[in-house]
Amino acid sequence: MVSVTDSSPETPTQISDEVFRTLEPPTPIYVLAVLFVMLLVGAAIAGLAYQTYAGFGGIGVTGLMHPVMWGVYITCFVFWVGIAHAGTLISAVLYLFRARWRNAINRSAEAMTVFAVITAALFPLIHIGRLWKFYFMLPYPNQRQLWVNFKSPLEWDVFAVQTYMIISILFFFVGLIPDLAAARDRCTDWRKYLYTALALGWRGTSEQWRHHARAVLHLSGLATPLVLSVHSVVSWDFAMSLVPGWHTTIFAPYFVAGAIFSGIAMVITLIVPVRKAFGLEGVIRAEHFDNMGKFLLLTSCIVGYSYGVEYFMAWYSGNVFEQQSFWARAFGDYWWASWTMIICNVVVPLPLWFKRVRLSVVAMWIISIFVNIGMWFERFVIITTGLSHEYDSSAWGYYTPGLVEITILIGSFAWFFMWFLIALRLIPMVAISEVKELYFHDQEAKAGTG
Amino acid sequence: MAELLGVLSTPHETVAAIERLQKAGFKKLDVYSPVQSHEIEHALDRGPSRVRAWTLIGGLTGVTVGYAAQILAAYDWPMVIGGKPFASIPAYTIVAFELTILFGGVLTVLGLVAHGFLGASRQNPAYRPAFSQDEFGFLVECHSDQIGRVQELLGEAGCKEVRVVEG
Repeated sequence: MVSVTDSSPETPTQISDEVFRTLEPPTPIYVLAVLFVMLLVGAAIAGLAYQTYAGFGGIGVTGLMHPVMWGVYITCFVFWVGIAHAGTLISAVLYLFRARWRNAINRSAEAMTVFAVITAALFPLIHIGRLWKFYFMLPYPNQRQLWVNFKSPLEWDVFAVQTYMIISILFFFVGLIPDLAAARDRCTDWRKYLYTALALGWRGTSEQWRHHARAVLHLSGLATPLVLSVHSVVSWDFAMSLVPGWHTTIFAPYFVAGAIFSGIAMVITLIVPVRKAFGLEGVIRAEHFDNMGKFLLLTSCIVGYSYGVEYFMAWYSGNVFEQQSFWARAFGDYWWASWTMIICNVVVPLPLWFKRVRLSVVAMWIISIFVNIGMWFERFVIITTGLSHEYDSSAWGYYTPGLVEITILIGSFAWFFMWFLIALRLIPMVAISEVKELYFHDQEAKAGTG
Repeated sequence: MAELLGVLSTPHETVAAIERLQKAGFKKLDVYSPVQSHEIEHALDRGPSRVRAWTLIGGLTGVTVGYAAQILAAYDWPMVIGGKPFASIPAYTIVAFELTILFGGVLTVLGLVAHGFLGASRQNPAYRPAFSQDEFGFLVECHSDQIGRVQELLGEAGCKEVRVVEG
């Protein structure tokens, strides 16, 4: 078993050297990886073009058919919004709680948040089929004086996701400014111009730090309720309807916990190979894996509890429609998806109770991949089983995703990884100034002066 | 007037230097730092940042725009939806909340740019790249006849290097 070891850098310069290693010229493996994900993105774009222009009635090329009119696309939307939650949780919530261990992983989590929201935001557009009509969702002044329905959860979603996207980008950028200045002062090639422009003239004066600290604090304060609201609003897309299996009050906390669960898992999935490839073992250390493991375990328990409560309430309510929907979920046509979800999200994370597992990079990585799969299936199960098994038995149906949907699903992962890989070479993927701050703090504590 | 730059290695040394110069009566002090340091901020005692006012104004604007836009839209083309009043405050709270956050966040960043960045690059002839890596630059403004005294104090404070800033 490969275990994580503690070997902290000795000086602030070493911290910079370790982190800036990611900005060195790319290796052939990196270039191949980028080309591979670009190929998959290209396939997805071809699939989308086929769906949009092939003349087969738009989303008629997908498997979407009455009664299941929400399928893989909406599953992907909910999944990627969920993935986006870890960045804000790690950056904002843990910042407010003064959890110092966040410093080594917050940058990659924030970058992941931005790319996940950008990925998620594509899916409602892909799902509506006629991409060019997307602006109907926006409340813009128009000649017909026609306004969107502000009482619809789908409209709340437009506002929630757009706000989340903008605030995530701002939060990511503001935190990045001191490190962009550090990159500007080290680089000598063309990127120096890029960093000079992006650093906005940062010199690290006491005035700049004073305003910067206040802005980060306020953005954290704003982002914390936002992160809770976004997946609550997404859950209300379902919970505000009358579909059995959807119409339940537990959905908001259940979705938020699931979002954090999947987000942390994706952070681990990404950070393990990055740490290995760029030799960041000194910065991303044992305590980080231990704490992320604890987070996974906690959220896994909440998600598992929520599954239990859903089934219990279906039975306890005495509502026959609710009961048959949940019976069908566990033992009906989609039993395979339901049990994949339960095994991946509740059973596979159980070894995390043991510290030895939390400290094992390989074990953490494998568990995180299972959780990613499980959380995708959770969204699929909720959406598909709910719609395929509503009130009237004559209107029950079975949904099989089409080839175009599968291509776009794979393409969405490639799209997400593509942006992450590109960012890896352009942006310091560890918050250097924050790690240095911890370094000075620890040094002074050791010397008895802090 | 003259400006002197002392180079230090840690936030703790920088704080000690600030206190030493303040005690000697020098008030126009500034620091270049590669990290955020509450101790330095506390020693310089500049008071709370004005960025907080921007956040407040943004948040209040957001919540007002949020409710007002929805209510106006509802009465612009009145339609009964779900048997609810045209202006359904509970349902409108969601969008109003999101806009509170959005406007508050955007104005916070604008406030940061306005107070922290505008014109910042022109005011820093003493800056050097090491101040974004591992060194702390301590700037003291004084009368020309006090240069010797400041050099002495900066030397006592443990500065690795002391020089008069040109330009």
